[in-house]
Amino acid sequence: MKRILILFAIAAGLVPQWASASEPLKVVTTIETLADLARRVGGEKVSVESLSHGYQDPHYVEAKPNLTISLHRADLLIRVGLDLEIGWLPILVTESRNDRIQPGQLGDLDTSTLVEVLDIPTTQLTRAMGDIHPKGNPHFWIPPVNAVRIAKGIAERLKQLRPEAKDYFEAQFAKFLSDIKGRAREWEAKAKPLAGMKVVTYHKSWTYVSKWLKLEEVSYVEIKPGIPPSPDHLLRLVALIKAEKVSALLMEDYYNKAIAQEVAGQTGAKLVPMPSDVGARPGVKTYFDLVDAILRNLDGVIR
Amino acid sequence: MHLQSKILALVSVACWHVAVFAQPMPANGGGAGQDRGVAARTGAGVATADAGMPVPTLTDQLDAAARRPIASAASAPDGGTLEPSLSDQLDAAAGKPVPATGAPPPAAAAAEGGSRFFQSLNPDISVILTGAAGYGQRAPLFLAGDDPDLKGGTSDHSAGITLQELEVAFQSIVDPYFRADVFLTIPNMSGLEIEEAFLTTTSLPAIQVKAGIFRSGFGRENGMHLHVQDFVQRPLINSYLGPDGLRPPGAQVSWLLPLPFFVQLTGEVFSVAAPDMLANFASPEPVSTFGGGRRTDLTYAGELKFFVPTSESLSVFGGLNVATGVTPGFAEGDTTLYQGARSMLYGADLYVKYKPPNQAVTYISLAWTSEYFLRTIGATGGNAGLTDGGFYTQLVLQIARRWFVGLRQDLLGWPSSEVQPLNSRTTLNLTFYPSEFSKLRGSVQYDALDSQASRVQQIAPSPVNSFAAYLQFEVAIGAHGAHKF
Repeated sequence: MKRILILFAIAAGLVPQWASASEPLKVVTTIETLADLARRVGGEKVSVESLSHGYQDPHYVEAKPNLTISLHRADLLIRVGLDLEIGWLPILVTESRNDRIQPGQLGDLDTSTLVEVLDIPTTQLTRAMGDIHPKGNPHFWIPPVNAVRIAKGIAERLKQLRPEAKDYFEAQFAKFLSDIKGRAREWEAKAKPLAGMKVVTYHKSWTYVSKWLKLEEVSYVEIKPGIPPSPDHLLRLVALIKAEKVSALLMEDYYNKAIAQEVAGQTGAKLVPMPSDVGARPGVKTYFDLVDAILRNLDGVIR
Repeated sequence: MHLQSKILALVSVACWHVAVFAQPMPANGGGAGQDRGVAARTGAGVATADAGMPVPTLTDQLDAAARRPIASAASAPDGGTLEPSLSDQLDAAAGKPVPATGAPPPAAAAAEGGSRFFQSLNPDISVILTGAAGYGQRAPLFLAGDDPDLKGGTSDHSAGITLQELEVAFQSIVDPYFRADVFLTIPNMSGLEIEEAFLTTTSLPAIQVKAGIFRSGFGRENGMHLHVQDFVQRPLINSYLGPDGLRPPGAQVSWLLPLPFFVQLTGEVFSVAAPDMLANFASPEPVSTFGGGRRTDLTYAGELKFFVPTSESLSVFGGLNVATGVTPGFAEGDTTLYQGARSMLYGADLYVKYKPPNQAVTYISLAWTSEYFLRTIGATGGNAGLTDGGFYTQLVLQIARRWFVGLRQDLLGWPSSEVQPLNSRTTLNLTFYPSEFSKLRGSVQYDALDSQASRVQQIAPSPVNSFAAYLQFEVAIGAHGAHKF
């Protein structure tokens, strides 16, 4: 009788299943770039799934119950942090009934702790400033330095979860580092002529890319983060773009282009929709594709 | 500006930075690469300024202040500084240690970013304010607790302005085992109520336990707070669950079935309090389904919820529900009928949502929700059993990024019974969300009653069929909540 009860409990999922060492660790990420980095570092010892797609706005992912299932089975949750996912992730994590990935556990990796965070507010915030991120700007995963930091953080966490595969994860990370360094000279050459380019961005989400490539952000199409522009803000923006001779208007693929197109048309600035995550476009399948695509798009402005 | 003065200004910027930030510089700095850049500039600075004390002149400081960009995160390109190659920067990034697992970021890591954010272990606090104004040819026959109460009677205009609800929420993780959520509410300025106050387990495998006062998972609408509703008023079938829906003290166990898709089984037990006043056949209060009998007569509920991700854009979320308890009955003249009779409530709900995940393609989305309830009250004291039911079906169409149109049809008393006459309500509304934290809504509705039903004739509403219009505003301040699907 006792044995039957135990068998039933296991079948019902009432007994926690510790992943055996031979089975790949189940990694769930909130965005596809983190998934690609986790695959590179984890290699064959992980199976990776992303909760959102690159063509989605990561602020507004719907908390669909099937995502609960993915989180329920996860050994490691890798997220962006800084409240980027606050509108949908906390409720899924609570409902996942998975103590391994609850905040502060070994299976919860907040990648914002790994990088140098920008735009940390230094004055008193109010929501009159729009939907601001009080802990800093969360759109940090594109610059190569940050990708290396994130990959290293993932490698360290995987080592803690699977100490016996320590050497494997270290070798995988070393391979990633050598791969990305292999591209560094070429990226640098492409970045050089971009320095000093004046840009207007749609959302304040290109800060890290601008810092890396030394672009000068003159203004933003959104009057405030998350608030669509008013007509008089757009008039001022058009005047500003003309006065400052701004050459490009950058925006994520997932925003509606109608307003930005209008502004670009009135000013002569070039509208540059860009992928901001792996999976944003059919051709952007890896982190390397993502950086290549961004540099290629920006290169198109100066040509 | 001449090249010379440009260099001088740059050097003075470097010196000024070093002077100001000399003390709080974190031990492991901003990465080896950055340190090298600073060192190079410092060297030049010391050479031009007085030995050992690199204090720039006021003129230089003013120049430096003028050159520094205004608090924009985008760093202006600074020509001419020595910068390590990307490859070196990557090596430096790979060499820096990673902060400890699970720990908050160490002070040094936070300092690198410029400032530390304020750490507090207080619960997340938010306040939601819902105001409504409206006019009705007569008051609705009955109101859910958080429907806007514009007073008036069943044969009297209902009009005015009300604070429909004030909700205060405190939410936090308790420890590695529990989280706690408390929602206090004042509906229609009537006094403080506990809308919900419960703990949830976070560390049990597969099952989750909730205990305290919480909204039952029976159906779809009952679990929702006012601010996530798509209409000014709750659906009419809400009355089957109680005046404020089903949210008495109780406990819930829910089990996520070990399947590759979402199926959740929930069992609940509640201690439903007896109604303040027994429903009367000659007045419009709905007959309570639960809350009768002795204190040992508990109310039990069970729900099965399933989710079908048909495609990226189309989702189907459904539920089958059953609840059983004891009805307190109702008064007819001097006698109380159906007192202590077993009551059963069956429900089925379906939520179909079409929303393309890529907003660059379109903002248009469509959500269709339908719920059906069927209630039976057992035969007692020579009276035959009662069976009645009702449903609502609603469409909410997102027509632009911040605009939604809603249409709902309510039908209560389908089938009808002696105590539940046929009552239809058609509602059309338009909602505008200035931001995620505010909303404005206009709504018109038409109520129709079966004038032949004996209970309607007893209550004698005037007019029998009535028109009403509402304006509603809602604002949320404080912590940013997550949205359920």
